[in-house]
Amino acid sequence: MLRLERIREDIAALGRQAAATRQARQDALAIAQRWLAEVPGAEELRGHVQPLLGSTDPWSGAVPVTDRPLNVPIACPPESLTGAVLIGVDGSQIFPDRHALALYYLLQVGALIFRYDGSAPTPRTFEWLRYEESDLFDERGYLIGAETLGMERMVKEMEVLADLVAASSPDAQGPVIGLFDGPLLWPYADRVPDAGSALRTYMGAMRRVQRGGGHPVGYVDRPGGRPLLDLLWASRLRPDEFGERIGESPLHHLTDEDLMVSFLPPGACTPWFTRPTPTNDRHAQEGQEIWFCYVHMGSGEHPTIARIEIPAWATIDGRAPAVAHAALLHQAAALNGYPYVLARAHEEALVTTQDKAALEQAIQREILASGHLALPSEKAQQKALLGRR
Amino acid sequence: MSGSDQTITIGNVLRADIRGFVIASRIPAPEVPTFGAFVRAPIQQETAELIGLVYDIRLQDDPFLRNLAANVVPDAPEYAEIIRDQRENRAVPVEISVVAIGYRYREAESYLYGYPPQPPMVLHQITVCSPEEVRRITASVDFLRTLLDNRDLPADELIPTVLQQTAPDDGADRQAYLLSAGRYLAQHLGRDPVRLEKILRRIDGG
Repeated sequence: MLRLERIREDIAALGRQAAATRQARQDALAIAQRWLAEVPGAEELRGHVQPLLGSTDPWSGAVPVTDRPLNVPIACPPESLTGAVLIGVDGSQIFPDRHALALYYLLQVGALIFRYDGSAPTPRTFEWLRYEESDLFDERGYLIGAETLGMERMVKEMEVLADLVAASSPDAQGPVIGLFDGPLLWPYADRVPDAGSALRTYMGAMRRVQRGGGHPVGYVDRPGGRPLLDLLWASRLRPDEFGERIGESPLHHLTDEDLMVSFLPPGACTPWFTRPTPTNDRHAQEGQEIWFCYVHMGSGEHPTIARIEIPAWATIDGRAPAVAHAALLHQAAALNGYPYVLARAHEEALVTTQDKAALEQAIQREILASGHLALPSEKAQQKALLGRR
Repeated sequence: MSGSDQTITIGNVLRADIRGFVIASRIPAPEVPTFGAFVRAPIQQETAELIGLVYDIRLQDDPFLRNLAANVVPDAPEYAEIIRDQRENRAVPVEISVVAIGYRYREAESYLYGYPPQPPMVLHQITVCSPEEVRRITASVDFLRTLLDNRDLPADELIPTVLQQTAPDDGADRQAYLLSAGRYLAQHLGRDPVRLEKILRRIDGG
């Protein structure tokens, strides 16, 4: 039972801090807006940040990769969607639980193949039940954690996308866009030990998408991070100030999303950027360097900013980038700023509490049929009773 | 059970007793059973099956659909694919109420009408009965027995609907079947002539 009266002063302090932070954010936003309005051209910026790219201190701000001006939003080009194919992919999981009646984990990937030809989309799901010791425990004998599971899930999602692109492309009358719920840039390099094998599999799947004629697009809803703000701060420093002051940005209260809400009109996007991170270098070695832009997916009443990630090769591949932009806006208009195909892929992937209960009942029946009785731990049973409150 | 039987996977059992059960599930719209559909569910460690009639279907709140409905006008051509996805693919959250009308042991050919000896203890899926099964179940109008006394059902609508669905197509056989059902109802509803007449009119009127 939570005794609110004991933390009442902390709650009041949290409220005061929220008000102070809000004011600081508004002040920082005014600065960021001015800096964006005054930002130099793209080519000049690339030259200006070169010393940061070769520095021993890692800098992961955004670097413009085209010559479009940063402070001019790009409207969505008029683009026919007829014949285009949009494949949305998402995944979910049941984590291994040593208190459950059996030790296992489950991965499920859901997809929706959406063809702009008037036909009903095709939902698909794919499932993996893991129960071998080699899957459940790492080299040190510890039960695998959420990061390892998330990594395997991300690889499976890309593999599924590659398979569906290969199946859909031969009959497609337009570009085939594979929409991934989350970043395309591999996030596990520093988070999971021995992630190299998984990364190689992931890159292989991304190459299969490319060879299959598809264009993978990562969709990051409500993006965190501030690579563009870091670029704006760098643009305000002299190169001889980089060493001392690059980490002293006054915009740390903000994210790029905050700036984009005030900068991008609905439907518009920024130019493409890249990030000079070790992971993106690794991607580039495989021919899959990831570029990103921001898109305003919502409306005036419901501003919604998404970060779109795409391999560099896909940005110059015919109509695909423009079709992807137009398709995302069309999909998002149906669902208040979130692409319909991703919402449905998520729905197809979702493992509900009822699904989990049915799975564990099935497992229990199989174990019972083999002459053994499997029960959750006493702790789990007690938690289940409390959980009904 | 044939390979083409339509099964409904249970999401959640809301209530189950010997009079019937109420389950929650998510089913694609084309597969939602109809009012008066016959279903069966395993009971007694799968040594028998309960036979029931669907008497209520309720759509549960669907926030996804509410969100979509705010932006997508029905039959809007620019959303043709989305509308088809909603109508043909997407599982809708439904509550299905089933009343028990009888049961059958797996080794037996004949059906026993009335409440089963036990409710479904573990309910994972129910199966919509095939037309052949329905013919066998309704060969005797005794299957109406549990419906007549159950005040929790819309029995006065359910009985005519089921009889219209289960009566043979052939004119003479159809007449004989409905006449037999009418006599059964008259025998059991003799003390409630108003209700009897209402039901008979509905059977007659179609």
